[in-house]
Amino acid sequence: MIELALRQSLRCLAVAGFLFGGMVGSCAAWADDASAGASVFKTECSECHSVKEGRNKKGPSLFGIVGRSAGTISDYSYSDALRQAHWVWTADKLHSYLSQPAKQANPGTKMKYEGLSDPKQLDDLISYLSTIH
Amino acid sequence: MPSFVNRRGVRRPKRMRRSKLTYLLCGLAVLLLLASTTANAIPAYARQTGSACADCHAGSYGAGSNGPQLTPYGMRFKLNGYTDTDGNGFKIPVAGQIVGTRAVPAVGQSTTELSEADLYLAGRITDQIGGYVKVQSDNVGDNKFSTQLSDVDLRFVAKDLKLGTQEATIGVTVNNNPGFQDPIAALPAATQNGPPTVSGTLLNPSSSNTLAHRVIGASVYGLYDSNWYGEIGTYSSMPTSVQDHLGYSIGGDPGKLSDTGYFSFAYMKDLKSQFFSAGIVALTTKRQLPRTGPNEDVTDLGYDLTYQYLGNRDNIVQLAYVNILEQRRYASVPASPVIPGLTAQAHGVVHDQSASVSYTFKQSYGVTYSHLVSTGTHDIVRYVPYGDPDTASYSFSVFWTPFGRDDSWTSIANIKLAATWFRFTKFNGSPTNVFGAPLGAPVTNARDLDEFLLSASAAF
Repeated sequence: MIELALRQSLRCLAVAGFLFGGMVGSCAAWADDASAGASVFKTECSECHSVKEGRNKKGPSLFGIVGRSAGTISDYSYSDALRQAHWVWTADKLHSYLSQPAKQANPGTKMKYEGLSDPKQLDDLISYLSTIH
Repeated sequence: MPSFVNRRGVRRPKRMRRSKLTYLLCGLAVLLLLASTTANAIPAYARQTGSACADCHAGSYGAGSNGPQLTPYGMRFKLNGYTDTDGNGFKIPVAGQIVGTRAVPAVGQSTTELSEADLYLAGRITDQIGGYVKVQSDNVGDNKFSTQLSDVDLRFVAKDLKLGTQEATIGVTVNNNPGFQDPIAALPAATQNGPPTVSGTLLNPSSSNTLAHRVIGASVYGLYDSNWYGEIGTYSSMPTSVQDHLGYSIGGDPGKLSDTGYFSFAYMKDLKSQFFSAGIVALTTKRQLPRTGPNEDVTDLGYDLTYQYLGNRDNIVQLAYVNILEQRRYASVPASPVIPGLTAQAHGVVHDQSASVSYTFKQSYGVTYSHLVSTGTHDIVRYVPYGDPDTASYSFSVFWTPFGRDDSWTSIANIKLAATWFRFTKFNGSPTNVFGAPLGAPVTNARDLDEFLLSASAAF
């Protein structure tokens, strides 16, 4: 009986989620790339990163990230792996880095992220980050 | 949560006069809703992590009639022992909260007062040790305050472990409220919104002689592959002298506990824009209440289901359902004082259920609806006068939190304005004349326990 109730409840939750998700998702599709990217940023990145200059969270500020050398914000405590990475966060580099698990892109990094598999969302996100200066 | 009715109904007529019981019951709604405004939003955590309140709490403030409304990020912060940081030096792990409330009960006088002042010691001590300690001071009338040690959750955690090919986290929690430590925060101890009850489960702090804040326990927990959570632990009740020193009346003593076990297991999935979880929980104990009396066996077995639509955080929907069944083998089988030859049942079942849905817009404006039901085995001796402990109620709340977001004036402190309606449809087994008053005597109906509350809170 508990199993039946559990199954019914899960089914209801899933239906509610997909209905609501579809509703909001269709609105996002009308937006231009950078503003769609802002939405992707809020979903995927904003808990750990801020776009405000000088504001670090669990991860460093992403203000001016495009064009910045990796591991160079002075008041953020980077992992050794990123400090020694010696690369510049170009749009291409961000695209490559964010399309895979962070531990794979930079073994030893503190960053916990599974990667963004949707190419459109990834492009939008990088477009948005390019506007943050 | 209030302890308003003696848990074992059969002792109630002997120990508590009806007038006192009525008084306590009528205070229920006030206490219940004050408890529901109790905050877990800790600005000290925000200062420590650089995160906004809204990163961990859907409504940018850790309390409401649906509890802390933890986001998956907030759950991970809790699992990591409250130790995550922005890496930018030591932050003083202290925060405060004050709450002012306008209470309008269906029966009785309305009050407007500073209802609560709290001190939080909350944050990381080292990279592996952190905690949450709340000292709560409640206005008990005439601007006299009663101070108590509220929830405590101290943790040691080993993070970033490898178990096979997957990541794992293993930790120990020492806490004083079974279920409060649950990372998903759906159980009554965590939401502080268990069903009001005349004979509730051990896992429901609304029950009389509740374990909440009067026990101390430890459990080991683990998170495997970010999805699988397990916990096993035990609890022991604090001596009555310690309870007294911590601000709790000895009359609410949960009794002496032995052979106590706590277990929970859950699967949770964070899809970034959505989250869902399914978990089970168990609590079993032998209890002597009173402490010199015989043992009774009590076992709670429950499950909880949650779903969150988070999207880009502009529109957040959170759903939760909790179902806890308690089986009891009573310590004694008293005889009915009214019907000769009739005795109470030796075994009984109590069933607490809660369902809630909340919607939060722009992490600032929210509505929450909760439906709360407590039922139990029919027992005319234990549950006077109708033989049923059944209680049903619901609450509806709206709130506004102007700050606590990344883009607000301050992201690490907040205020909250809330309005809550609390309604009872059944109490003590009946919608009307809930105490079975004789003809001509004043009658109390379930709806007489209704209440409307306006509250203003500030966390800093």
